[in-house]
Formats: sequence, structure tokens, C-alpha cells
Amino acid sequence: MEILQIKDLSFTYPNTDSPAADGINMTVNQGEFILVCGASGCGKTTLLRLIKKELSPAGNLKGEILYNLDAKGFKETASAFDVGFVFQNPDSQIVTDSVWHELAFGLENMGIPSDTVRRRVGEMASYFGINEWYHSKTDSLSGGQKQILNLASVMVMDPKILILDEPTSQLDPITASEFIKTVYSLNREFGITVIIAEHRLEELFPLADRVAVMDGGNLIFYGSPEKACGALKDNPIFEGFPSAVKIFEGTKDLTELPEGYQCPLTVRDCKKYLNANFSHLSGKEVKVISPEPANPVIEAENLYFRYDKNLPDILRSMSISVCENEIMGILGGNGAGKTTALNVIAGAEMPYRGHVKIYGKKIKDFKNNSLYRNMLAYLPQDPQCIFVKNKVSEDFEAALAALNGKNQNIGSEIERISEELGISHLQNMHPYDLSGGELQKCAVAKLMLTDPKIMLLDEPTKGLDAVSKNKLISLLRKLRSKGMTFLIVTHDIEFAAGICDRCAMFFDGGIISQSAPNEFFSSNRFYTTSSHRACRDIFPNAILTDEVIGLCRGNV
Amino acid sequence: MSAYSKLHPLTCLVGYLCILIPAMFIKNPVIQLTSLLGSVLFLSVICDRKTIGSDLGFYIPLFVLMAVTNPLFSHNGATPLFFMNGNPVTLEAVIYGIFMSVMITSVLLWCKCYGIIINSDKIVYLFGKSLPKLSLLLSAALKFIPELKRRFRLTSSAQKTLGQYSTESYTDRIKRMCGVFSSVIGWSLENAVEKNNSMKARGYGMPGRSNYSIFKMTAADKTISVLYIACLSLTLAGAFTGKLYFSYYPTVSGIPDSPLALASYFSYFVCAMIPIIVESEEAIRWKYYRSKI
Amino acid sequence: MKKDILIIFSIVLVVALLIMGTDFQSVEEYYQSHPDAITPDSKTVYFSIRCDTILQNTDKLDPALQSSEYIPEDGMILAPSRYVLRDGDTVFDLLLRITGYHKIQLEYQGADVSAFGSVFVEGINYLYEFSCGSGSGWTYLVNGENPQTGCSKYEPKDGDLIEWFYTCNYGEDYTPLQNQTQPK
Repeated sequence: MEILQIKDLSFTYPNTDSPAADGINMTVNQGEFILVCGASGCGKTTLLRLIKKELSPAGNLKGEILYNLDAKGFKETASAFDVGFVFQNPDSQIVTDSVWHELAFGLENMGIPSDTVRRRVGEMASYFGINEWYHSKTDSLSGGQKQILNLASVMVMDPKILILDEPTSQLDPITASEFIKTVYSLNREFGITVIIAEHRLEELFPLADRVAVMDGGNLIFYGSPEKACGALKDNPIFEGFPSAVKIFEGTKDLTELPEGYQCPLTVRDCKKYLNANFSHLSGKEVKVISPEPANPVIEAENLYFRYDKNLPDILRSMSISVCENEIMGILGGNGAGKTTALNVIAGAEMPYRGHVKIYGKKIKDFKNNSLYRNMLAYLPQDPQCIFVKNKVSEDFEAALAALNGKNQNIGSEIERISEELGISHLQNMHPYDLSGGELQKCAVAKLMLTDPKIMLLDEPTKGLDAVSKNKLISLLRKLRSKGMTFLIVTHDIEFAAGICDRCAMFFDGGIISQSAPNEFFSSNRFYTTSSHRACRDIFPNAILTDEVIGLCRGNV
Repeated sequence: MSAYSKLHPLTCLVGYLCILIPAMFIKNPVIQLTSLLGSVLFLSVICDRKTIGSDLGFYIPLFVLMAVTNPLFSHNGATPLFFMNGNPVTLEAVIYGIFMSVMITSVLLWCKCYGIIINSDKIVYLFGKSLPKLSLLLSAALKFIPELKRRFRLTSSAQKTLGQYSTESYTDRIKRMCGVFSSVIGWSLENAVEKNNSMKARGYGMPGRSNYSIFKMTAADKTISVLYIACLSLTLAGAFTGKLYFSYYPTVSGIPDSPLALASYFSYFVCAMIPIIVESEEAIRWKYYRSKI
Repeated sequence: MKKDILIIFSIVLVVALLIMGTDFQSVEEYYQSHPDAITPDSKTVYFSIRCDTILQNTDKLDPALQSSEYIPEDGMILAPSRYVLRDGDTVFDLLLRITGYHKIQLEYQGADVSAFGSVFVEGINYLYEFSCGSGSGWTYLVNGENPQTGCSKYEPKDGDLIEWFYTCNYGEDYTPLQNQTQPK
């Protein structure tokens, strides 16, 4: 049964020429799991908001969206409670201060009497495992718990269609996959129709019944995920497809596959495919050029840190050294203290024992902010924090003026860096109007104005799509070629494997192991890239899809 | 979580008023000492040793300071102990000071206890009883404030590591704070738009909104409330008929001991002891069940 | 926060003590003062302290004071009598000296802290302002008239009749005594 029908839908925002959605036709069946993907700004969010009538943006709308929620035929409207919507940011969609109140909020709006509310809230809380923090304050929850709460407080209203707009982009990988599993089981166990927009395709691709791919407001593909792989091979969106798909598409011409062989979507299927077709290459290795030991520029020794006298140590005897002109990655679980470690190295927090040396000089010996001038720059997890003015260019000017005084030629310096990073067209935008990738670049540009030798980055890939991630990688490589040193804290294993010269594992308050990425990830069984998980039987030290494809082709 | 805090918010509020009104308005040493005794016992039940220790470090010196202050400024009283700068320091003023301290300390302690007992959920409920819209607003504000604080901390730390403003100069620091503040305001407007979307998406603004609360008035809640009100009435009866009248000046009068006064003392004593009775009743019941297992 | 409260409180107290100065006297020392003996050529005034208005307003009187110990049955706390007037004495100086001699309790606000720029007498013999209704308090009259000046600013003349008078109605209820000793 069809539950949703979109006919010739076009939408243009006021004061823009190009439509954000252009001639979209799609039907969704009852109980389907639809994945909507596409680069940032492709019109995903616009489409999803148009489906949820209460959130329809203002603008010029053509075409129709029809709902068939009770199997009595198509209607133009759906009640607010039949279509549930989960937003991207876990925090800003929570309305009330208590978990129980948040769960009851939707039901209160429906005007449901207290006894029924009590029963339904109780039921939902038990299903989602919320009972343990039912009485907690919403503010005290972790990001994953918040997003589960948001899902539960939508589900409590018993929607027929559940729409999720990049729900896991602010979560770490483990929490994100738990969240996706929960959504998937809602779909499988209760037959709820799910429409989810995501960048995290690795896990969602195998789960989706149909994939809708958008590009520039057009729906360029709508069909099964296996078919999407072949059809979109040359589209930039392919970058974000699962490693299994990329390996398959990069190597299938070398093999003789039977007609109708389905593209593998999971690590399991990819492993089967590789073992069947490339076992003759078994044992081949990627040549790893180990970097020559260079002069260390960040040296931290025996750092101990805690936020309060009565709280436990976050850093316990943590030591790390980063060499000049190297990209070092710190990986580790959620809440392990990686961000705290970066804060201490950046001088934002003081360790109670141990010290950090930058270029051989202790942090406390950098007087009068000299540490942050021509020396060290720090990009926090939320790059919006970097901007305090209403225009990107104003922020840049303020930063330069504060650093150098008025006598410098501010304009040309800004122009030079903006051109270098390709953000000249964003100068007059408000920082809040930028997409994740654009904001990231502008933030890096603002840090570059201080002409740093070392840059610390905290989760730089959070919320970025595959295309922006690749752009970030090439940007960081370019800056390194000019002599900069990077220390990156990240959850993103694929990103770390792709960019770092050395990776370090943060656990239990300190660094427990560090080595070059190929060695680092190939010695891990679980905490490693999906390419490596798929190919470890044949290629013991390949960790990137490109390396796997290269080894298959024999040109590494 | 203490047993008393599991009571219905209305019962807690009734208890709070029943204990505070006599403590603050009846000038009678028996009432004041009862109030102090009740508050100290209650605090010792609901707080851990460490907080009690640090509280003693605050309330005892405060008690002494307040008790000392009165005779220095009030010279009434028929029994001068000595003269200071030509003014008598009298026994009556000292006694009055002590009992004022008893009163103020006990009121502070009760407020502290009830601050722990009446959490924001209960406050929101109590307001929401009369104004459902206000309760939602309060609840949303209670969510928003910590968010705003966190945002301020993040932005200000990011600006610090940008090294834009020298941290040695006060004017620069204030400038930085202003910049951060205005950006946080901008962020909060952005945040409000998203909150509004989230509310709309869940059907806020539809007619016939109901108001749910997790609190249910149980038989025990009702019994305790009735007991509280009955005790308060008897205490106030004693006060309004003047049977509890007690004066410190010019000489300390005798403690009233008419039957009605004694009944008032007793009923106030019950008021002050209800929290501890509720707490220990649960503890005893728990031990009893444990012993049966 | 809590520490701050304690510290501020203590500082205020210490400062207040320092400003007031600390001059301790035992009760005996304080009551040692004697008025000067009257000699034929000394200047004198008639001085009395009365609260007879209370006798008509006993319903308003603070219950703690409803005893002949504090309110004499004739309303005279200090019956009119002659006292030596020293040069430069104000009405307040006389009051202070005479109550000290008779061991009558007295509480006043010094000229420096009082809102009137003059000493303000709060209570005599445990009888305070507002002890007998909202319009009650101490005032003084010289020869039956209110001088409209603070008591520490008014210097009486030889032979004046000074009455400290407890009013229950903003000073409107003054009646001269019947058998009053007339000034010479």
C-alpha cells in the first residue's frame, strides 16, 4: 500500500532563483525504509520539511504531496501526530527540562488525559530503555541519550511516518550505530514507514529498502541500494558510499562475475567477494614508508588533570609527542577525555601535574597570548564558537586587527587566505547560514589568519558529508605541505586512516598505543576501517579502499 | 531519594508553609526551639555527613554572630550586665538575640531542607496547577538556562584559545565577554527557532492541550496534608488567642503553660516531626521487610 | 558563597564596634554619677518624666509592660524636682545625668546615627516608642510648650520647667499637671 505520494514537487525559497527542489516524483510504500542521501545543500532537508507540513518552509511551492495514512485514499493533509520528525541537533529540539515531561509533551498537545499519558509514556520509556533515567534532567543526558529521547518522544504519539533529518550527525560512531539500529527495529518490528536523510551510508545502505539520491534539487536516483551503486558510480556522492561498494566497483572489471551478481553492501558480503575472486593475491602488502623521526614540536609529559578536586582524574599520566610537519590523530571512545586532552595541550586548561612544551617552551612561559600568535591554533568541536560577529568577513577583520594592530594590510591578507581555502564567496554570509563544510573551512581560515605553526582540531569531520570530508583532507594536506603540524582528535576511523601520519589510541586517561595508520589499524580487529575488516584475510595491512583496489590491480 | 521527597508536591508545599508560618511569626521560645530541633533532625536525615559538616561550619558561626549582634544594638531590658559606651548591654537583649538566631537559623535550615525536597519538577507542577502555560514556560526555561551557560563557556574558551584579546588587560577581557555575549544571544535566537520547530512538529498549539504530571495524590499524601493543616490550625489558634504570648523586654516573661498553649506546642511539635517520622517510617519498614527475607 | 556571607557579616560587626568605640563600664561604675548639690547661686530647672497618658490607653499598651513596676499608678516615672543646670547643658544632657542618678533605664540613638541630626530618645524606663499604639513615643516640653528642636540642641534657661512626656497620640494629648510646681 502506498502511504505517501509526491507529484511534480518543485519548491523555490524566496529571493533565490534556483529551486531547492525541482520536479520531484516519488512514492513511498507503507513500511518502507527510505534513505535520502546527497551532498550538503542538495535539497534533502527541504524535501523532508515539505513532507512534514508543520515545518514547511515559506516559498513558492508547486506540485502535490498526498498522504494515505488510514488506507482510505489519498488526502492533502496529515495531522501533526501522523508524521513524526526527528531533527539533527539532539539538544535544540528538546523542549522541557525533565525526561518524563519531554516524553509527555506531544501527548499533552494531543489533549490526552493524564491516565492514558501515564500508560503510553511508561510503555515508550520501557521500550527505549529510558526507565533508568526517566526522572533525570534532560540537560544531564549524553548526546546519544538525548537523541533516543527525541525519537521516543516522537514515537509516543504513534506516527505513521517517521522522518529523520541527519539524526546521527552529532553523535559518535558507536552511539550513532546504536541509534540507527533502534530506528531499524522500529521499522521492522512495528512496520513504521521511515524516511531518513544521512551522510553515514556505511551502515544505512544495507538497511534501506530504497535509496533516494538528490543532487541540486533533483531526484537523480530512486531505487534499491544495489542498483544505486552501479548507477551513481561517477557522481561525487559515490565517495560516501560504503567501502564494500567502492571496492566492488573499483575491481569488478578484473573478475568474471555471473550475470546479475548483486553489489555487496556489507563487510560480510565484500569479504566473501574478495575471498572468492582475489585469494591468489593473498599476502600482498601495502608499502609503508615510515616517516623519518623529526624534531618534536608538541611534547606532553605525565599530564594529570581533573575538573574538580572531588572528581576523578580525566588525564592520568598522559604523554604524547608530535613531530614537526606531521598529522597526528588521537582516537578513542566517547567521553574518554580526548577533548580534555586537547584543551590541556591548547593551554585552555591547566594540568595539576606535568607540563606541555610547544617548540621546547613550556606553555606557561608563553606570556601575553604569544602562544596563540604565530604559534598554535585550536579548532573546537563546534566551529560556530569561533565566530562572534554577524559576518564572516567582520570576524576575520576583528581577528587580524586584534593580532597585528591596525597598521597591517588587513584586506590583502584576508583575501590571500580566503582564496587559498576557496571561501571568497562566503565573506558576506552570516556564520549561522553556512553549511557544515563551509563553516569548517571558514573556521580554519580564521585560525590561519593567526599564522599558526601548529593546529589542533577536535572532531573536524562531525556532521560533514563525504565530499566535504575529502575537501577537508586535501586542505589539511595542502597546509601540511607548507610546514604546518596537526594534532587531530577524532572518532572517525576512516578519516584518521586517510589522513594521519601517526595514530594514537586514547584510553583510560592516557595514550596506550601509537603507530603509523597501516600498522595501527591492521593490528586492531574491531577498532579499524571497514575496508580492512573486509580484506584482512588477503591483504594484511591495507586499510583504505584505494589501497585495497590498488593491491587488487597490482599497482601498489 | 528521601521518603519525604516522594510525597505529592502539594503536600510538600503544605508542610513547608505549616512549618514556616509559626516559626517566623510566633515569638515564643518553645515554638522556635521546636522548629530548630525539627530542622536539624530533618537535615541530618536527608543530607550526608559531609554536607552536614560543612553546614555546621556555616550555621554555628552565623548563629553566634547574630546572637552577639542584638545586644550591641538593642539596649532595652531590666537587667544590665555592663555598660558599653554609656549604653547598657542587658541580659534580656542577649536572650532575645539568642532566640532570634534560633528562629533565623531554623528558618534557613528549613528552607535548605525544602530546597532539596522541592525540586524543579515539583515547582513546575505547583505553578502549572494554576497556570498550565506558565508551567511549560518554566520547564522550557529550566532546560534553556544550562544550555545557554554551556554555550557561553564553549564560545568563551574558543575565543580564549584564538588569543584575540589579551587576557592580562581588563578592558580587553570585558570586550571579549561582550563579543561572546552577543554571539551567544544570536545563537540562542537560532536555538529558539529550532525549539519552536520541534514544538510545532509535535503538535504544539493545537486546541485542547492537556497537562500531564507524574505526581499522584495518594491516601498517604492526603492524610499527611490533613494532619499538617489540623496541627497548623491548633497552633495558630493558640497564637491568635494570645495564649502563646511571650515577651523578652523589659524582663523575660514566663513561658505560657495554659492548656491551649500546651496543645499548640504539641501540635507544632507534630508539624516539625512529620518529615522525620515519614523518613524513619520508611527506614523501619525497610528493615522489617529485610528481616523477614 | 556561604563563607562570603560570614566574612561580610563579621566585618560589618567589627567595623560597627570600631566606629562606636569600646568603652566598657560595669553597672556600678555607670550609676556612680551624682547631680551637683544645689547651692543658692546655682541655676536650676524643674525636671520630670511622665507617662500618665498611658493610663487612658491601657488597651493599646504592650502586655509585657502592663504592670505597676513599669507604669507607675500615677503615671509619674520621675516626679518634678529641682536639678542644677550646668553651663551649656542641653535637655538631653540633663536627661542622661538625671536618669543615670535615679537608675532609670534609657535608650537613645546618638546624634550621628539619628535621622534628625539630634539625639533621638527611643525608650525611657522600658517604655519605647510604639509601646502604646502607633502614635506613641517620647517627646519633651519646656514650660508646657514643644520647642520644636532636638533635645541635644536645646539649652534650657535657669528656672525652666522641663517635662519628658510620653504621648500616645503624636504629642496632641498633652495636659499640664494640676498641682504643678510653678517656676520661681
